[in-house]
Amino acid sequence: MTDLPKCENKKLGLLIDLDICVGCHACVVSCKEWNSSGDTKQLSDVNAHQKEPIGTFLNHVHSYEKENMDKNESEPFYFPKSCLHCEDAPCVTVCPTGASYKRPEDGIVLVNEDDCMGCGLCAWACPYGARELDLLSGVMKKCTLCVDRIDNQDLPEEDRVPACVKSCPTGARSFGDFNDPNSKVSKISRDRSGVDLMPEMKTKPVNKYLLPRIKSNFDKELDRKESSELNVSGFLSWVDKALDKL
Amino acid sequence: MHPAPSIILFTILSGFGFGVITWIGILQYFSMVSSLEVISFSILGGFFAVIGLISSTFHLANKKNAIKSFSQWRSSWLSREAVASVICLSLVFINVSFVFFEKYSLSLVGITASIFSFITVFTTSMIYAQLRSIPAWNTMLTPLIFLSASILGGAILLKQDYALYGLVFFSVIQLLFWVYSDSSEKNMKTNLSTALGFNENNSIRSFDKAHTNQNYLLNEMVYKVGRKHSKRIRYISFLFAVLIPSGLILLNNHDSYLVAFIFSFLHLLGLYFSRWLFFAEAVHVVSFYYEGN
Repeated sequence: MTDLPKCENKKLGLLIDLDICVGCHACVVSCKEWNSSGDTKQLSDVNAHQKEPIGTFLNHVHSYEKENMDKNESEPFYFPKSCLHCEDAPCVTVCPTGASYKRPEDGIVLVNEDDCMGCGLCAWACPYGARELDLLSGVMKKCTLCVDRIDNQDLPEEDRVPACVKSCPTGARSFGDFNDPNSKVSKISRDRSGVDLMPEMKTKPVNKYLLPRIKSNFDKELDRKESSELNVSGFLSWVDKALDKL
Repeated sequence: MHPAPSIILFTILSGFGFGVITWIGILQYFSMVSSLEVISFSILGGFFAVIGLISSTFHLANKKNAIKSFSQWRSSWLSREAVASVICLSLVFINVSFVFFEKYSLSLVGITASIFSFITVFTTSMIYAQLRSIPAWNTMLTPLIFLSASILGGAILLKQDYALYGLVFFSVIQLLFWVYSDSSEKNMKTNLSTALGFNENNSIRSFDKAHTNQNYLLNEMVYKVGRKHSKRIRYISFLFAVLIPSGLILLNNHDSYLVAFIFSFLHLLGLYFSRWLFFAEAVHVVSFYYEGN
Protein backbone atom coordinates (compact mmCIF):
# COMPACT_ATOMS: atom_id res chain seq x y z
CA MET A 1 0.00 0.00 0.00
CA THR A 2 1.17 3.49 -0.81
CA ASP A 3 0.38 4.79 2.65
CA LEU A 4 3.28 6.73 4.09
CA PRO A 5 5.32 4.76 6.62
CA LYS A 6 6.58 6.23 9.87
CA CYS A 7 10.31 6.73 9.40
CA GLU A 8 11.70 6.81 12.91
CA ASN A 9 15.13 5.31 12.34
CA LYS A 10 16.70 7.35 9.62
CA LYS A 11 15.87 10.26 7.36
CA LEU A 12 18.43 10.22 4.59
CA GLY A 13 18.72 13.31 2.46
CA LEU A 14 20.91 16.01 0.99
CA LEU A 15 22.08 19.33 2.34
CA ILE A 16 22.78 21.74 -0.50
CA ASP A 17 24.79 24.89 0.09
CA LEU A 18 23.84 27.59 -2.44
CA ASP A 19 26.74 29.72 -1.19
CA ILE A 20 29.24 27.19 -2.49
CA CYS A 21 27.57 25.86 -5.64
CA VAL A 22 29.22 27.26 -8.75
CA GLY A 23 26.64 25.90 -11.20
CA CYS A 24 29.01 23.57 -13.06
CA HIS A 25 26.31 20.89 -13.65
CA ALA A 26 28.74 18.09 -12.64
CA CYS A 27 26.01 16.66 -10.37
CA VAL A 28 23.55 16.63 -13.28
CA VAL A 29 25.96 14.78 -15.54
CA SER A 30 27.19 12.28 -12.95
CA CYS A 31 23.58 11.57 -11.90
CA LYS A 32 22.58 10.85 -15.48
CA GLU A 33 25.69 8.71 -16.00
CA TRP A 34 25.29 6.63 -12.85
CA ASN A 35 21.56 6.15 -13.26
CA SER A 36 21.89 5.07 -16.89
CA SER A 37 24.43 2.35 -16.19
CA GLY A 38 25.05 -0.54 -13.85
CA ASP A 39 22.06 -2.13 -12.17
CA THR A 40 19.63 0.66 -12.97
CA LYS A 41 17.64 0.95 -16.16
CA GLN A 42 18.30 3.64 -18.75
CA LEU A 43 17.41 7.31 -18.30
CA SER A 44 16.55 7.64 -21.94
CA ASP A 45 17.17 10.38 -24.48
CA VAL A 46 15.07 10.87 -27.60
CA ASN A 47 16.69 12.48 -30.67
CA ALA A 48 19.93 12.67 -28.69
CA HIS A 49 21.99 13.79 -31.68
CA GLN A 50 19.28 15.48 -33.70
CA LYS A 51 17.53 18.77 -33.81
CA GLU A 52 15.24 18.65 -30.81
CA PRO A 53 16.75 16.35 -28.20
CA ILE A 54 14.65 15.59 -25.12
CA GLY A 55 15.84 13.48 -22.25
CA THR A 56 15.16 12.35 -18.70
CA PHE A 57 17.16 13.88 -15.86
CA LEU A 58 16.78 13.45 -12.12
CA ASN A 59 18.63 16.61 -11.23
CA HIS A 60 18.66 20.12 -12.72
CA VAL A 61 20.67 23.22 -11.94
CA HIS A 62 18.81 26.52 -12.31
CA SER A 63 20.58 29.87 -12.44
CA TYR A 64 19.11 32.89 -10.68
CA GLU A 65 20.09 36.37 -9.67
CA LYS A 66 18.86 38.14 -6.60
CA GLU A 67 18.53 41.88 -6.70
CA ASN A 68 20.40 43.82 -4.06
CA MET A 69 18.47 47.08 -3.76
CA ASP A 70 21.10 48.83 -1.62
CA LYS A 71 23.82 48.44 -4.18
CA ASN A 72 21.71 48.55 -7.33
CA GLU A 73 23.20 45.33 -8.56
CA SER A 74 22.35 41.64 -8.48
CA GLU A 75 23.96 38.62 -6.91
CA PRO A 76 23.93 35.44 -8.97
CA PHE A 77 23.51 32.02 -7.42
CA TYR A 78 22.96 28.51 -8.69
CA PHE A 79 20.21 26.20 -7.56
CA PRO A 80 20.49 22.41 -7.99
CA LYS A 81 17.13 20.68 -7.60
CA SER A 82 16.38 16.98 -7.23
CA CYS A 83 13.88 14.95 -5.18
CA LEU A 84 13.61 16.25 -1.60
CA HIS A 85 12.41 12.88 -0.21
CA CYS A 86 9.54 14.61 1.63
CA GLU A 87 8.19 13.21 4.88
CA ASP A 88 4.63 13.87 3.66
CA ALA A 89 5.34 12.95 0.07
CA PRO A 90 2.20 13.67 -2.00
CA CYS A 91 3.67 11.68 -4.92
CA VAL A 92 3.51 8.47 -2.88
CA THR A 93 -0.08 8.62 -1.69
CA VAL A 94 -1.55 9.52 -5.10
CA CYS A 95 -0.02 6.46 -6.78
CA PRO A 96 -2.81 4.07 -7.85
CA THR A 97 -0.65 1.02 -8.54
CA GLY A 98 1.59 0.96 -5.49
CA ALA A 99 4.70 1.61 -7.58
CA SER A 100 5.60 4.72 -5.56
CA TYR A 101 6.74 4.07 -2.04
CA LYS A 102 8.77 5.50 0.79
CA ARG A 103 11.32 3.11 2.28
CA PRO A 104 10.39 2.71 5.96
CA GLU A 105 13.98 2.16 7.11
CA ASP A 106 15.43 5.44 5.79
CA GLY A 107 12.61 7.42 4.18
CA ILE A 108 13.97 7.33 0.63
CA VAL A 109 11.14 7.81 -1.90
CA LEU A 110 11.40 5.22 -4.67
CA VAL A 111 9.49 3.89 -7.69
CA ASN A 112 9.11 0.20 -8.35
CA GLU A 113 9.22 0.34 -12.13
CA ASP A 114 7.67 -3.11 -12.51
CA ASP A 115 4.41 -1.75 -11.03
CA CYS A 116 4.31 1.72 -12.64
CA MET A 117 1.64 2.26 -15.32
CA GLY A 118 2.98 5.66 -16.39
CA CYS A 119 -0.12 7.72 -15.55
CA GLY A 120 2.02 10.66 -14.46
CA LEU A 121 -0.18 11.63 -11.51
CA CYS A 122 2.79 11.53 -9.08
CA ALA A 123 4.64 14.03 -11.26
CA TRP A 124 1.58 16.31 -11.09
CA ALA A 125 1.39 15.93 -7.32
CA CYS A 126 5.04 16.89 -6.78
CA PRO A 127 5.35 20.68 -6.39
CA TYR A 128 9.07 20.58 -7.17
CA GLY A 129 9.14 18.83 -10.54
CA ALA A 130 11.28 16.05 -9.12
CA ARG A 131 9.73 13.28 -11.20
CA GLU A 132 10.01 12.75 -14.94
CA LEU A 133 8.26 10.16 -17.06
CA ASP A 134 10.80 8.33 -19.15
CA LEU A 135 9.70 8.70 -22.76
CA LEU A 136 11.06 5.36 -23.95
CA SER A 137 10.36 3.00 -21.05
CA GLY A 138 7.06 4.72 -20.11
CA VAL A 139 7.71 4.55 -16.38
CA MET A 140 8.31 7.27 -13.82
CA LYS A 141 11.90 8.14 -12.94
CA LYS A 142 13.14 9.96 -9.88
CA CYS A 143 16.17 10.48 -7.67
CA THR A 144 16.88 7.35 -5.63
CA LEU A 145 19.67 8.95 -3.59
CA CYS A 146 21.64 6.31 -5.52
CA VAL A 147 20.36 3.43 -3.38
CA ASP A 148 22.49 1.11 -5.52
CA ARG A 149 25.59 2.96 -4.26
CA ILE A 150 24.65 3.60 -0.63
CA ASP A 151 23.34 0.04 -0.12
CA ASN A 152 26.25 -1.62 -1.91
CA GLN A 153 28.50 -3.16 0.72
CA ASP A 154 31.06 -4.09 -1.97
CA LEU A 155 31.92 -0.43 -2.55
CA PRO A 156 34.52 1.18 -0.29
CA GLU A 157 32.79 3.20 2.41
CA GLU A 158 33.74 6.61 1.01
CA ASP A 159 31.97 5.72 -2.25
CA ARG A 160 28.69 4.84 -0.54
CA VAL A 161 27.21 8.30 -1.21
CA PRO A 162 24.98 9.52 -4.06
CA ALA A 163 26.80 10.16 -7.35
CA CYS A 164 25.98 13.89 -7.25
CA VAL A 165 27.60 14.27 -3.83
CA LYS A 166 30.67 12.30 -4.88
CA SER A 167 31.13 14.36 -8.04
CA CYS A 168 30.56 17.87 -6.66
CA PRO A 169 33.92 19.63 -7.07
CA THR A 170 33.17 22.34 -4.51
CA GLY A 171 31.54 20.22 -1.80
CA ALA A 172 28.24 22.07 -2.07
CA ARG A 173 26.30 18.85 -1.52
CA SER A 174 26.40 16.73 1.64
CA PHE A 175 24.59 13.49 2.25
CA GLY A 176 23.50 12.18 5.62
CA ASP A 177 20.87 11.29 8.19
CA PHE A 178 18.72 14.25 9.23
CA ASN A 179 17.15 12.22 12.01
CA ASP A 180 20.46 11.98 13.85
CA PRO A 181 21.05 15.33 15.60
CA ASN A 182 24.81 14.69 15.64
CA SER A 183 25.21 13.95 11.94
CA LYS A 184 27.21 16.43 9.88
CA VAL A 185 24.18 17.46 7.81
CA SER A 186 22.02 18.03 10.91
CA LYS A 187 24.70 20.13 12.59
CA ILE A 188 25.39 22.35 9.58
CA SER A 189 21.71 22.70 8.82
CA ARG A 190 21.09 23.78 12.43
CA ASP A 191 24.02 26.20 12.59
CA ARG A 192 23.25 27.88 9.29
CA SER A 193 19.47 27.54 9.49
CA GLY A 194 18.80 25.24 6.54
CA VAL A 195 15.46 25.93 4.86
CA ASP A 196 12.64 23.96 3.22
CA LEU A 197 11.51 24.71 -0.32
CA MET A 198 7.84 25.77 -0.63
CA PRO A 199 6.96 25.18 3.06
CA GLU A 200 3.38 26.24 2.18
CA MET A 201 2.94 22.97 0.27
CA LYS A 202 3.18 21.09 3.60
CA THR A 203 5.32 18.32 2.15
CA LYS A 204 7.98 18.49 4.93
CA PRO A 205 11.01 18.00 2.67
CA VAL A 206 13.95 16.12 4.17
CA ASN A 207 16.53 17.82 1.92
CA LYS A 208 17.57 21.19 3.25
CA TYR A 209 19.06 24.20 1.47
CA LEU A 210 21.52 26.76 2.82
CA LEU A 211 20.61 30.07 1.22
CA PRO A 212 23.23 32.36 -0.30
CA ARG A 213 24.44 34.77 2.37
CA ILE A 214 24.41 38.51 1.71
CA LYS A 215 27.74 39.25 0.13
CA SER A 216 29.87 41.40 2.44
CA ASN A 217 29.84 45.03 1.38
CA PHE A 218 33.43 44.76 0.31
CA ASP A 219 33.71 48.08 -1.53
CA LYS A 220 32.09 49.99 1.35
CA GLU A 221 34.70 48.54 3.67
CA LEU A 222 37.42 49.73 1.32
CA ASP A 223 35.97 53.28 1.33
CA ARG A 224 35.95 53.30 5.12
CA LYS A 225 39.56 52.16 5.21
CA GLU A 226 40.70 54.98 2.93
CA SER A 227 38.78 57.67 4.76
CA SER A 228 40.16 56.47 8.10
CA GLU A 229 43.68 56.90 6.74
CA LEU A 230 42.93 60.55 6.08
CA ASN A 231 41.21 61.09 9.39
CA VAL A 232 44.22 62.55 11.25
CA SER A 233 44.49 65.53 13.57
CA GLY A 234 47.04 67.76 15.31
CA PHE A 235 50.68 67.56 14.24
CA LEU A 236 50.05 64.80 11.69
CA SER A 237 47.25 66.86 10.15
CA TRP A 238 49.74 69.78 9.72
CA VAL A 239 52.25 67.32 8.12
CA ASP A 240 49.52 66.00 5.85
CA LYS A 241 48.59 69.47 4.64
CA ALA A 242 52.22 70.51 4.31
CA LEU A 243 53.01 67.47 2.22
CA ASP A 244 49.95 68.15 0.03
CA LYS A 245 51.26 71.65 -0.67
CA LEU A 246 54.67 70.44 -1.82
CA MET B 1 -1.14 22.04 -17.42
CA HIS B 2 -1.14 20.24 -20.72
CA PRO B 3 -4.77 19.76 -21.84
CA ALA B 4 -4.45 16.18 -23.11
CA PRO B 5 -7.51 15.28 -25.26
CA SER B 6 -7.55 11.74 -23.81
CA ILE B 7 -8.06 13.09 -20.29
CA ILE B 8 -10.57 15.76 -21.29
CA LEU B 9 -12.66 13.21 -23.19
CA PHE B 10 -12.34 10.79 -20.29
CA THR B 11 -13.70 13.26 -17.71
CA ILE B 12 -16.51 14.46 -19.99
CA LEU B 13 -17.72 11.18 -21.48
CA SER B 14 -17.45 9.15 -18.28
CA GLY B 15 -19.02 12.05 -16.37
CA PHE B 16 -21.95 12.08 -18.79
CA GLY B 17 -22.28 8.28 -18.77
CA PHE B 18 -22.26 8.12 -14.98
CA GLY B 19 -24.72 11.03 -14.87
CA VAL B 20 -27.14 9.02 -17.02
CA ILE B 21 -26.68 6.00 -14.74
CA THR B 22 -27.31 8.15 -11.66
CA TRP B 23 -30.58 9.46 -13.13
CA ILE B 24 -31.88 6.16 -14.48
CA GLY B 25 -31.39 4.50 -11.06
CA ILE B 26 -33.36 7.25 -9.35
CA LEU B 27 -36.12 7.29 -11.99
CA GLN B 28 -36.35 3.50 -11.81
CA TYR B 29 -36.64 3.62 -8.01
CA PHE B 30 -39.59 5.97 -8.23
CA SER B 31 -41.06 3.96 -11.16
CA MET B 32 -40.95 6.93 -13.47
CA VAL B 33 -39.52 5.02 -16.44
CA SER B 34 -40.41 1.83 -18.33
CA SER B 35 -38.22 -1.30 -18.22
CA LEU B 36 -37.24 -0.67 -21.84
CA GLU B 37 -36.01 2.80 -20.87
CA VAL B 38 -34.10 1.38 -17.89
CA ILE B 39 -32.37 -1.16 -20.12
CA SER B 40 -31.56 1.15 -23.00
CA PHE B 41 -30.37 4.10 -20.93
CA SER B 42 -28.36 1.94 -18.53
CA ILE B 43 -26.57 0.48 -21.55
CA LEU B 44 -26.11 3.94 -23.05
CA GLY B 45 -24.74 5.35 -19.78
CA GLY B 46 -22.48 2.34 -19.36
CA PHE B 47 -21.29 2.75 -22.95
CA PHE B 48 -20.26 6.38 -22.41
CA ALA B 49 -18.65 5.56 -19.06
CA VAL B 50 -16.63 2.75 -20.65
CA ILE B 51 -15.63 4.88 -23.66
CA GLY B 52 -14.41 7.52 -21.21
CA LEU B 53 -12.48 5.01 -19.14
CA ILE B 54 -10.90 3.51 -22.26
CA SER B 55 -9.97 7.00 -23.43
CA SER B 56 -8.17 7.59 -20.12
CA THR B 57 -5.94 4.57 -20.75
CA PHE B 58 -4.58 6.25 -23.89
CA HIS B 59 -2.73 8.57 -21.63
CA LEU B 60 -0.95 5.77 -19.76
CA ALA B 61 2.64 5.34 -20.86
CA ASN B 62 2.85 1.76 -19.61
CA LYS B 63 -0.61 0.25 -20.14
CA LYS B 64 0.33 -3.30 -19.18
CA ASN B 65 0.34 -2.35 -15.50
CA ALA B 66 -3.08 -0.67 -15.61
CA ILE B 67 -4.69 -3.62 -13.81
CA LYS B 68 -2.56 -2.81 -10.75
CA SER B 69 -4.40 0.49 -10.35
CA PHE B 70 -7.15 -1.34 -8.45
CA SER B 71 -4.81 -2.08 -5.56
CA GLN B 72 -4.26 1.23 -3.73
CA TRP B 73 -7.83 2.26 -2.87
CA ARG B 74 -6.78 2.99 0.70
CA SER B 75 -4.63 5.99 -0.21
CA SER B 76 -5.11 6.92 -3.88
CA TRP B 77 -8.14 8.67 -5.38
CA LEU B 78 -7.24 7.37 -8.84
CA SER B 79 -7.34 3.83 -7.50
CA ARG B 80 -10.62 4.52 -5.68
CA GLU B 81 -12.05 5.76 -8.96
CA ALA B 82 -11.03 2.56 -10.72
CA VAL B 83 -12.63 0.43 -7.99
CA ALA B 84 -15.81 2.56 -7.75
CA SER B 85 -16.32 2.57 -11.53
CA VAL B 86 -16.04 -1.23 -11.74
CA ILE B 87 -18.47 -1.70 -8.83
CA CYS B 88 -20.88 0.75 -10.43
CA LEU B 89 -20.72 -0.84 -13.89
CA SER B 90 -21.16 -4.33 -12.37
CA LEU B 91 -24.27 -3.15 -10.53
CA VAL B 92 -25.59 -1.66 -13.77
CA PHE B 93 -25.02 -5.01 -15.47
CA ILE B 94 -26.83 -6.89 -12.71
CA ASN B 95 -29.68 -4.38 -12.76
CA VAL B 96 -30.09 -4.59 -16.53
CA SER B 97 -30.03 -8.41 -16.41
CA PHE B 98 -32.74 -8.47 -13.75
CA VAL B 99 -34.93 -6.05 -15.63
CA PHE B 100 -34.35 -7.91 -18.90
CA PHE B 101 -34.87 -11.50 -17.72
CA GLU B 102 -37.27 -11.18 -14.84
CA LYS B 103 -39.36 -8.47 -16.44
CA TYR B 104 -39.47 -6.59 -13.18
CA SER B 105 -37.17 -4.05 -11.70
CA LEU B 106 -35.22 -4.83 -8.58
CA SER B 107 -35.04 -1.12 -7.95
CA LEU B 108 -32.63 -1.39 -4.98
CA VAL B 109 -29.84 -2.58 -7.31
CA GLY B 110 -30.60 0.32 -9.62
CA ILE B 111 -30.50 2.92 -6.87
CA THR B 112 -27.26 1.41 -5.48
CA ALA B 113 -25.72 1.68 -8.96
CA SER B 114 -26.93 5.25 -8.98
CA ILE B 115 -25.17 5.98 -5.67
CA PHE B 116 -21.94 4.33 -6.84
CA SER B 117 -22.17 6.30 -10.06
CA PHE B 118 -22.23 9.53 -8.05
CA ILE B 119 -19.31 8.29 -5.92
CA THR B 120 -17.32 7.45 -9.06
CA VAL B 121 -17.65 10.99 -10.42
CA PHE B 122 -16.68 12.32 -7.00
CA THR B 123 -13.53 10.15 -6.95
CA THR B 124 -12.65 11.36 -10.46
CA SER B 125 -12.90 14.97 -9.34
CA MET B 126 -10.80 14.31 -6.23
CA ILE B 127 -7.91 13.14 -8.43
CA TYR B 128 -7.60 16.81 -9.39
CA ALA B 129 -8.94 18.50 -6.26
CA GLN B 130 -6.38 16.76 -4.01
CA LEU B 131 -3.38 18.36 -5.74
CA ARG B 132 -1.93 21.18 -3.62
CA SER B 133 0.64 21.71 -6.36
CA ILE B 134 -2.12 23.10 -8.63
CA PRO B 135 -3.84 25.74 -6.46
CA ALA B 136 -6.69 26.43 -8.95
CA TRP B 137 -7.88 22.82 -8.59
CA ASN B 138 -7.28 22.47 -4.86
CA THR B 139 -10.82 23.53 -3.91
CA MET B 140 -14.19 21.91 -3.20
CA LEU B 141 -15.46 23.71 -6.31
CA THR B 142 -13.66 21.04 -8.38
CA PRO B 143 -15.83 18.14 -7.12
CA LEU B 144 -18.87 20.43 -7.33
CA ILE B 145 -18.25 21.27 -10.97
CA PHE B 146 -17.58 17.64 -11.95
CA LEU B 147 -20.67 16.40 -10.09
CA SER B 148 -22.99 19.16 -11.27
CA ALA B 149 -21.86 18.69 -14.88
CA SER B 150 -22.44 14.94 -14.63
CA ILE B 151 -25.91 15.24 -13.07
CA LEU B 152 -26.83 17.97 -15.54
CA GLY B 153 -25.73 15.87 -18.54
CA GLY B 154 -27.99 13.02 -17.40
CA ALA B 155 -30.88 15.41 -16.74
CA ILE B 156 -30.70 17.00 -20.20
CA LEU B 157 -31.07 13.55 -21.73
CA LEU B 158 -33.61 12.05 -19.34
CA LYS B 159 -35.51 14.67 -17.37
CA GLN B 160 -35.59 18.05 -18.99
CA ASP B 161 -37.95 19.58 -16.39
CA TYR B 162 -35.17 19.12 -13.84
CA ALA B 163 -32.46 20.04 -16.34
CA LEU B 164 -33.42 23.72 -16.11
CA TYR B 165 -32.66 23.71 -12.36
CA GLY B 166 -29.49 21.80 -13.17
CA LEU B 167 -28.47 24.40 -15.74
CA VAL B 168 -28.89 27.20 -13.19
CA PHE B 169 -26.94 25.29 -10.54
CA PHE B 170 -24.18 24.32 -12.97
CA SER B 171 -23.78 27.84 -14.31
CA VAL B 172 -23.43 29.25 -10.78
CA ILE B 173 -20.72 26.67 -9.96
CA GLN B 174 -19.02 27.24 -13.31
CA LEU B 175 -18.88 31.03 -12.82
CA LEU B 176 -17.66 30.61 -9.23
CA PHE B 177 -14.98 28.24 -10.46
CA TRP B 178 -13.72 30.75 -13.04
CA VAL B 179 -13.69 33.53 -10.45
CA TYR B 180 -11.84 31.27 -8.01
CA SER B 181 -9.40 30.13 -10.65
CA ASP B 182 -8.50 33.73 -11.56
CA SER B 183 -8.13 34.82 -7.93
CA SER B 184 -6.08 31.75 -6.97
CA GLU B 185 -3.60 32.67 -9.67
CA LYS B 186 -3.37 36.25 -8.44
CA ASN B 187 -3.19 35.42 -4.73
CA MET B 188 -0.95 32.39 -4.92
CA LYS B 189 1.10 31.81 -1.77
CA THR B 190 3.87 30.27 -3.82
CA ASN B 191 6.30 32.37 -5.79
CA LEU B 192 9.92 32.00 -6.86
CA SER B 193 11.08 33.22 -3.43
CA THR B 194 9.19 30.55 -1.47
CA ALA B 195 10.16 27.99 -4.11
CA LEU B 196 13.81 28.73 -3.31
CA GLY B 197 13.25 28.81 0.46
CA PHE B 198 13.52 32.58 1.08
CA ASN B 199 11.03 33.65 3.70
CA GLU B 200 10.59 37.18 2.38
CA ASN B 201 9.62 38.09 -1.13
CA ASN B 202 12.80 38.88 -2.99
CA SER B 203 13.28 40.15 -6.44
CA ILE B 204 14.76 37.09 -8.11
CA ARG B 205 15.01 36.28 -11.79
CA SER B 206 16.40 33.47 -13.82
CA PHE B 207 19.37 34.42 -15.97
CA ASP B 208 20.05 31.11 -17.63
CA LYS B 209 18.10 27.99 -18.55
CA ALA B 210 18.43 24.80 -16.53
CA HIS B 211 18.32 22.86 -19.78
CA THR B 212 18.52 24.08 -23.34
CA ASN B 213 15.61 22.04 -24.72
CA GLN B 214 12.16 20.91 -23.74
CA ASN B 215 11.69 18.17 -21.16
CA TYR B 216 8.81 16.26 -19.59
CA LEU B 217 8.21 18.93 -16.95
CA LEU B 218 7.93 21.71 -19.50
CA ASN B 219 5.70 19.71 -21.84
CA GLU B 220 3.39 18.44 -19.14
CA MET B 221 3.22 21.06 -16.38
CA VAL B 222 4.78 24.33 -17.51
CA TYR B 223 2.55 24.15 -20.57
CA LYS B 224 0.79 27.33 -21.58
CA VAL B 225 -1.53 27.50 -24.52
CA GLY B 226 -4.45 29.61 -25.64
CA ARG B 227 -4.32 31.90 -22.59
CA LYS B 228 -4.76 34.87 -24.87
CA HIS B 229 -8.17 33.49 -25.89
CA SER B 230 -9.21 32.30 -22.46
CA LYS B 231 -12.05 34.85 -22.08
CA ARG B 232 -13.43 34.07 -25.55
CA ILE B 233 -13.26 30.32 -24.93
CA ARG B 234 -15.19 30.86 -21.68
CA TYR B 235 -17.95 32.62 -23.61
CA ILE B 236 -18.10 29.84 -26.22
CA SER B 237 -18.19 27.22 -23.48
CA PHE B 238 -20.96 28.98 -21.56
CA LEU B 239 -22.95 29.49 -24.76
CA PHE B 240 -22.93 25.81 -25.68
CA ALA B 241 -22.96 24.24 -22.23
CA VAL B 242 -25.64 26.45 -20.69
CA LEU B 243 -27.36 29.05 -22.88
CA ILE B 244 -28.17 27.00 -26.00
CA PRO B 245 -29.48 23.94 -24.05
CA SER B 246 -31.56 26.26 -21.79
CA GLY B 247 -33.09 28.02 -24.78
CA LEU B 248 -33.82 24.80 -26.63
CA ILE B 249 -35.39 23.16 -23.59
CA LEU B 250 -37.61 26.18 -22.98
CA LEU B 251 -38.72 26.13 -26.63
CA ASN B 252 -39.10 22.41 -27.03
CA ASN B 253 -39.91 20.49 -23.88
CA HIS B 254 -38.99 16.83 -24.27
CA ASP B 255 -40.83 15.55 -27.28
CA SER B 256 -38.39 12.79 -28.15
CA TYR B 257 -35.16 11.26 -26.94
CA LEU B 258 -33.54 12.02 -30.29
CA VAL B 259 -34.02 15.75 -29.69
CA ALA B 260 -32.81 15.32 -26.10
CA PHE B 261 -29.73 13.57 -27.43
CA ILE B 262 -28.94 16.50 -29.72
CA PHE B 263 -29.31 18.90 -26.75
CA SER B 264 -26.95 16.68 -24.73
CA PHE B 265 -24.43 16.70 -27.54
CA LEU B 266 -24.44 20.52 -27.69
CA HIS B 267 -24.07 20.65 -23.92
CA LEU B 268 -21.12 18.22 -24.00
CA LEU B 269 -19.50 20.29 -26.73
CA GLY B 270 -19.63 23.35 -24.47
CA LEU B 271 -18.36 21.25 -21.59
CA TYR B 272 -15.38 20.23 -23.71
CA PHE B 273 -14.29 23.87 -23.95
CA SER B 274 -14.81 24.33 -20.21
CA ARG B 275 -12.78 21.21 -19.37
CA TRP B 276 -10.10 22.23 -21.85
CA LEU B 277 -9.74 25.52 -19.96
CA PHE B 278 -9.77 23.62 -16.65
CA PHE B 279 -6.46 22.09 -17.71
CA ALA B 280 -5.00 24.81 -19.92
CA GLU B 281 -5.48 27.59 -17.36
CA ALA B 282 -4.27 25.65 -14.32
CA VAL B 283 -0.84 26.76 -13.13
CA HIS B 284 1.41 24.14 -11.56
CA VAL B 285 3.76 25.61 -8.95
CA VAL B 286 6.82 24.02 -10.60
CA SER B 287 6.37 26.75 -13.24
CA PHE B 288 7.96 29.25 -10.84
CA TYR B 289 11.35 27.54 -11.14
CA TYR B 290 11.20 28.09 -14.88
CA GLU B 291 9.36 31.35 -15.27
CA GLY B 292 10.12 33.24 -12.07
CA ASN B 293 7.52 35.51 -10.53
